[in-house]
Amino acid sequence: MIRRYLREWSVAAATLTLLLLLALVKPQFFSGQNLRDILVTKAYILIAAIGMTMVILARQIDISIGSQFAICGVLASLLAKWGLPLSLMIVGTLGAGALLGALNGALVAGLRLPSIVVTLATMVSLEQGIRWITGGEPVRNAANFQWLGLGQTAGEIVVLATSAAVLAAFAAGLRWLRAGRAIYATGSDPEAARLAGIRPAGVVFGVFVLMGVFSALAALLNGIQSTQGDPTSGQGLGLQAIAAVVVGGTAISGGRGTLFGTFVGFILLAVIGPALVFLQVEASWEKAIQGTIILVAVASDAINLRQRRNVGASLAAR
Amino acid sequence: MLAQALPHAERRPGVRFVPTHERILAVLLLAETAVFCVIGRHFVSADNAFEIVRLSVEVGLLALAMTPVIVTGGIDLSVGSLIALSAVLFGKLFRDAGLPVGVAAVLTLGAGALAGLLNAALITGLRLPPLIVTLGSFSLFRGLAEGLTGGSDSFMCPKSFLFLGQGAQIPVFLVAAAGFWLLLHRSAIGRGLTAIGLSPEGARHAGIPVGRRVALVYVLSGVVASLSSLIYVSRYTQARADAGTGYELLAITAVVLGGTSIFGGRGRISGTLLGLFAIAILERGMKLADLGDQLAQILVGVLLLTALGANALLEKLSTRRAA
Repeated sequence: MIRRYLREWSVAAATLTLLLLLALVKPQFFSGQNLRDILVTKAYILIAAIGMTMVILARQIDISIGSQFAICGVLASLLAKWGLPLSLMIVGTLGAGALLGALNGALVAGLRLPSIVVTLATMVSLEQGIRWITGGEPVRNAANFQWLGLGQTAGEIVVLATSAAVLAAFAAGLRWLRAGRAIYATGSDPEAARLAGIRPAGVVFGVFVLMGVFSALAALLNGIQSTQGDPTSGQGLGLQAIAAVVVGGTAISGGRGTLFGTFVGFILLAVIGPALVFLQVEASWEKAIQGTIILVAVASDAINLRQRRNVGASLAAR
Repeated sequence: MLAQALPHAERRPGVRFVPTHERILAVLLLAETAVFCVIGRHFVSADNAFEIVRLSVEVGLLALAMTPVIVTGGIDLSVGSLIALSAVLFGKLFRDAGLPVGVAAVLTLGAGALAGLLNAALITGLRLPPLIVTLGSFSLFRGLAEGLTGGSDSFMCPKSFLFLGQGAQIPVFLVAAAGFWLLLHRSAIGRGLTAIGLSPEGARHAGIPVGRRVALVYVLSGVVASLSSLIYVSRYTQARADAGTGYELLAITAVVLGGTSIFGGRGRISGTLLGLFAIAILERGMKLADLGDQLAQILVGVLLLTALGANALLEKLSTRRAA
């Protein structure tokens, strides 16, 4: 078990070491309020990273999710403003996310275009499209939209519970469901997957649609915390999500990785900023440290892999 | 894969007009110009042409250096952030350390080379995917720029350096374009880069020093990003840690629109220049016709998708013709 998830556990160990250090130096960091603030305000990144994990597992990438996030955020605010019941507002927003994801999916799976360029193009068009339509003006949120009308404490619990439930459900699904294994198979080797009776194009289309739904869910969880739907939000969300996935040990070449890893990667990257504030280091160093973490994580991956290969080679030589 | 291995179809004798990617792009460029001549005010003028080139230089330099990177099958997401880091270093060197501007500029270019070397070392030394390495340095370089300035400090460009942003950057750009054209299309190194993009393993067996060649394109990319940064500082007369945000994606867009395959092994500097100016003319024309920047950007995305789709179609056709 430990051997199998070595990569995930080593990131977890790094995260725990960091948290332990913080506990020794600044025990105030571990006040329930502070931890809850961090998790609630950054939950949307975790949600996006869950979708991104599946995209990357299927050997694809999606850098357009920031624009999907912005569009769905504005749409949710508008739907609530027009007086739609909350349930319809949620369904409508998630549906819009699915449509945006289906657009990427159709171009990648249907026309066999490279996903990085397709999502670069849809990102530019959608991001500027929503700004053009709204004129860049934010939409003021209706009163019943904020915290879904439940008040802050209950609203925060909803955000945390939704994130935890989605994480657990999809972690289990990837591990045990047929559809989950099909994602791994497609990412490992599309041709082998096809021979095994899986339709790789269908799987790829599916993960892009799911990604769109996750972007919409992220926009909802983020939107209900704010007083307005901002069409310029979501910039850089794609790269943040990819960073969490990669630090969590998912291989960019597809077929290897877990949501447990993504969760650990997300936590490590999420606590850096607040930790700096508590350690009285200037918060402007946050991004530099995150970049270093990404590089160290992937470099240690490569070194580990090489050592294991060398062991394998020497065994074979005998 | 086979289609990419075929050399440029227009060179084959006996075919009168093959609609290659670049020719279609050139027609598009002319069409854009014609449309904007009609709907835009003052579009056709020497001043406007000068402005279009002047405003395209920073992204243009990045796109030139990005072309060989993508031809080898790689990508460099860190160049936009490197513009910020270089600008901040340049400011620190001449303002805080009191170095002469020329020395500060040369040291900045050196720092760009080092930044490129960091990417190169991780990519060739540890055989890590370029996308992930440069995603990490994308964050690292921007973060260093933010950390060094506390996120808010800005630098004024020294007066003696302003010339670089007022027109002197155009000859620099032309020299860079010629240099990259020679490197990619008229040198053994360039053939090697194409071979690496098609098959790194095959290139290695053919005696090409794959690691050194790949390292070269990332180091060049770093130096050129720093050069682009100096021009940026000089044109805007000041710089902060947010300089060059998103420029890496603009550069990649120009390169891919120009017909370079994102999988490597196929790409031309002339295509990149056509892609760059197709975007620049579109943006400038929409602006002069009061249609707004955003609509231009939306069209750039649509254009990119159309180009990709057309490219896939052309490839299919040329395979069929070859078969």
